[in-house]
Amino acid sequence: MFEFFFKYPYTAFARGRLILLSSWPRWMLVLAIVLGAVGLAGLIWFQWSTAAPKLKSWRSAVIWVLQAAMLMVLLLLLWEPALNVAELRSQQNIIAVLVDDSHSMAQTDAGNQQTREQAAVAALKNGVLDGLKQRFQTRLYHIGASVGEVDNPDKLQSAGRSTHLSDGMRQFLAQTQDLPIGAIVLMSDGAENASGSDEGGGGVDIAALDALRNRHLPVHTIGFGSETAEHDVEMEGVSVAARALASSRMVATVRFHQRGFSRQKAMLTVRESGKALAGHEITLPANGETRTDTLYFDAGDAGAKDFEFSISPMLGEPNVINNSLSRMVNVSGDKRRILFVEGEPRWEFKFIRRAADDDPQLQMVSMLRTTENKVYRQGISDPSELAEGFPTRPEDLFGYSGIIIGSVESGYFTPSQQELLREFVDRRGGGVLFLGGRFSLADGGWNSSGASDLIPTFLPKTKETFHRDPAYPLLTQVGADSPVTRLADDAAVNSARWKKLPYTADYQDAGSPKPGATVLLEMSDTHRKMPMLVTEPYGRGRTALMATAGTWRWQMSMPVGDGSHDQFWRQLLRYVAAESPGPVTASVPAQTLLDEGHVVLSATVRDKQYQPSPDADVMARIVGPDGTSSMMQLAAVPGEAGSFRTEWTADKPGSYAIEVTGSRAGEVLGSDIVTLERKDGIAENFHTEQNRELLERLSNSTGGRYWRPSELSTLPRDISYSEAGISVRDTKPLWDMPINYLLLLGLVSAQWLLRRKWGVV
Amino acid sequence: MKLLAATAVAAVALACCSVVRAYQRTADFGFDDSEQRQAQKAEFVWSRLAYTSRSGGNGYGWGWGRAAWSRDYPKADRQLLVAMKRLTRIEGRPYEQVVDLDSDAIFEYPWVYAVQVQAWTFSDAEAKRLRDYLNKGGFLMVDDFHGTQDWEDFMEGMRQVLPDRPVEDLQSGDEIFHVLYDMDDRIQVPGEHYIRTHRTYEKDGFTPKWRAIRDDKGRIMVAICHNMHLGDAWEWADDPDYPEKFAAQAFRVGLNYIVYGMTH
Repeated sequence: MFEFFFKYPYTAFARGRLILLSSWPRWMLVLAIVLGAVGLAGLIWFQWSTAAPKLKSWRSAVIWVLQAAMLMVLLLLLWEPALNVAELRSQQNIIAVLVDDSHSMAQTDAGNQQTREQAAVAALKNGVLDGLKQRFQTRLYHIGASVGEVDNPDKLQSAGRSTHLSDGMRQFLAQTQDLPIGAIVLMSDGAENASGSDEGGGGVDIAALDALRNRHLPVHTIGFGSETAEHDVEMEGVSVAARALASSRMVATVRFHQRGFSRQKAMLTVRESGKALAGHEITLPANGETRTDTLYFDAGDAGAKDFEFSISPMLGEPNVINNSLSRMVNVSGDKRRILFVEGEPRWEFKFIRRAADDDPQLQMVSMLRTTENKVYRQGISDPSELAEGFPTRPEDLFGYSGIIIGSVESGYFTPSQQELLREFVDRRGGGVLFLGGRFSLADGGWNSSGASDLIPTFLPKTKETFHRDPAYPLLTQVGADSPVTRLADDAAVNSARWKKLPYTADYQDAGSPKPGATVLLEMSDTHRKMPMLVTEPYGRGRTALMATAGTWRWQMSMPVGDGSHDQFWRQLLRYVAAESPGPVTASVPAQTLLDEGHVVLSATVRDKQYQPSPDADVMARIVGPDGTSSMMQLAAVPGEAGSFRTEWTADKPGSYAIEVTGSRAGEVLGSDIVTLERKDGIAENFHTEQNRELLERLSNSTGGRYWRPSELSTLPRDISYSEAGISVRDTKPLWDMPINYLLLLGLVSAQWLLRRKWGVV
Repeated sequence: MKLLAATAVAAVALACCSVVRAYQRTADFGFDDSEQRQAQKAEFVWSRLAYTSRSGGNGYGWGWGRAAWSRDYPKADRQLLVAMKRLTRIEGRPYEQVVDLDSDAIFEYPWVYAVQVQAWTFSDAEAKRLRDYLNKGGFLMVDDFHGTQDWEDFMEGMRQVLPDRPVEDLQSGDEIFHVLYDMDDRIQVPGEHYIRTHRTYEKDGFTPKWRAIRDDKGRIMVAICHNMHLGDAWEWADDPDYPEKFAAQAFRVGLNYIVYGMTH
């Protein structure tokens, strides 16, 4: 239709440039149009007195507009408009036809008899290939996990495990850099798994697009597959910590969407080795809407764990593989040492210690001022530990993962110890918890101490903020979702358990939370609400404040067997200490690799004072799924002191354990273990709907066009408008386009019809 | 006639002694008994367990003086609290607290002291409450019972509370003897009768027994001071005739047991 009115196809206009062939200057055209319009206006004015009465109104203006437009079209045609467009030379260019052979192309969409691959092959054989061959040389390629030439469409098989459009395009451009490629035809469903993760890569990367643009290669994309699945539930992603301490309470945020099962019930479950750890019933969202849900579960014993998060298959759901996602979590059996500094014997000290005693991953080391001149130490590893009091050297203090400051005046610490405390959080990445008490917070002079930055609230300016009066804990909205204050998996049960807890024996006014701080618990005395538990990230670590020393009543007043007190404190202590990094930390972008094995292994190395160690020797020992091990050296990253990196490929499916060790001058600084798993045959079961958005973006950004399979008859001709390959610029006159004369006719007819309607013909 | 005179003299002397003794037990020893002082809020509150004794007494008034649980009460308690204030950083209430097992009030006081425990008896509800108290983290110190028969009587009640927990002898290296003062060398601490008899034991309790019942993690939940009378030592510490060495050790034991109870 477009071509009927405009003489040339849309692609010619899209890729061409409009020019005027007349030797007369353009300004003269503009002048003629202006003069003509003014002249017509003058003529109307001259005849105004003799005009019909009905025309002595806005109707004259309408007549003038129509006449001026007609004059403008006529003048434009006199200046000989034309289209200047680059066109591929016949039979001198190669059209590369790239057919996606990934596993997702083997799907048969609802209502179709053919797979996507079969539909693509059929389209090629039913005219597209022949049409292209009439004008160009053609070469057929498969693109999926790799790129390769195919001599016959029948040899195309959807055998690729994943789609890597970016990599594929780059490989194709490298392979054909000496060939006169005029354009690319990409036949695909747009499924892209380039990141190797189940959450998809989000499209073709900038480097691949730049390479296409540099060669002026238009990519014409032909989309196969349904743009919306009829019946499918798909897990979009799972966010969960990559590492945890044994027996940790873990939180996973799960995202999913569905089509065809709106508002139906399903079970969301997390499993490990087939055993269900936690789960609850969910209501599926509306079609296409993404829903987020949370799962709480126990990390279990130490080891590399593969947690599977899944939504139960729905009745009649054809693809159930995308109902599940796995995440590797490195569950560490290491102990975290927490230093508890307490200024006076208190019940809170005893009961916190007892809560920590029940946690095999926590080791409480304490120094308690029993008298003015005596410090009672518990949990020390040797008689020299803390023998001189609170540590004064970084290497001594930084051996702990967390610190609790009880009822101790700030003046008990020297200014350098206060600064060391601050650096413990900021540089070492440890956690500090401040407790309420007679000598705590504002009453202990902490608001004017060198470590005041660590306190997550603006402390009151006054003293006597500690009161031995009841205060009731109140769970905040944020606290309801926090693993620190989660006493039960079910939100309602958790809330009910907090409401059942008795009042604390005392409380302390901790002031107001600082920006960035999170209030997990509030408390109310008889007058007002105050923050009770506040947390805040600080530097590489974290701080917390518990503005009471009376939670021991939760233990003594609740029935025997109620573990609320101990559970809360274990969770808070783990918050304080569990995530404190060691001197060496290793990381990979994703711990679950789907259908590809490329891994960027990064590590940061610090010395015993936790200063970056750029001159360290960093080695990685990789143990593969078959038990074989190999060693790799990580190279220092320029400009990033203490950062090291290497690239490596996990070439076999299975679990990998990578131990990264940093050493300097023969002394081992530390080591870290990261685990990952490569799974094959999974990726293409995700994002199974046609990703039209990606295909359109690719074609639009390269000067091509997105095509439906039903529109391919004009593809061979439209594809010829390209600047790539061997092309010539052609000038195509536009003065004789049917649209010009139809427009003139239309303008004249409109004027005549209006005059008839107004009765002034 | 002589016998009658002697009996009368003895009766008068006994009456005088009883009056003096009663005065000693009830007089104001310089402690401030004001309501404000009694209501003072503090971290540590010395609590004394009141129980129903075998003789049936556990109440106040006349029974107050007779009930077994109130031996040395309140002077012993208050003198130890004075020592605690002077010698430690514990913020303690200077006024003792009597607790019983008839209500949940005992759970407000995680450290409790009981004497004459050979006389204690429990109903099932009381035994359960004390068991719950100990299982939640409460600490019980028992004192002032002597000899074989007292031990059996004490254990009768203890088995009602903690039927399956063994009693063990504490060793000198145990943490409870080092938490505040190092007490490797301990002696038998007698009651005030020592002033008159110079005997350190009562009944057949010739050897002091430092014993304990522990929880599943090895923490002491019941500290048993058998064949000794620490309470009397605290009470009579200000008597010039009562040897300082007994009082000094009694205070050290008391403070060690308090600090242990607040740290384990």
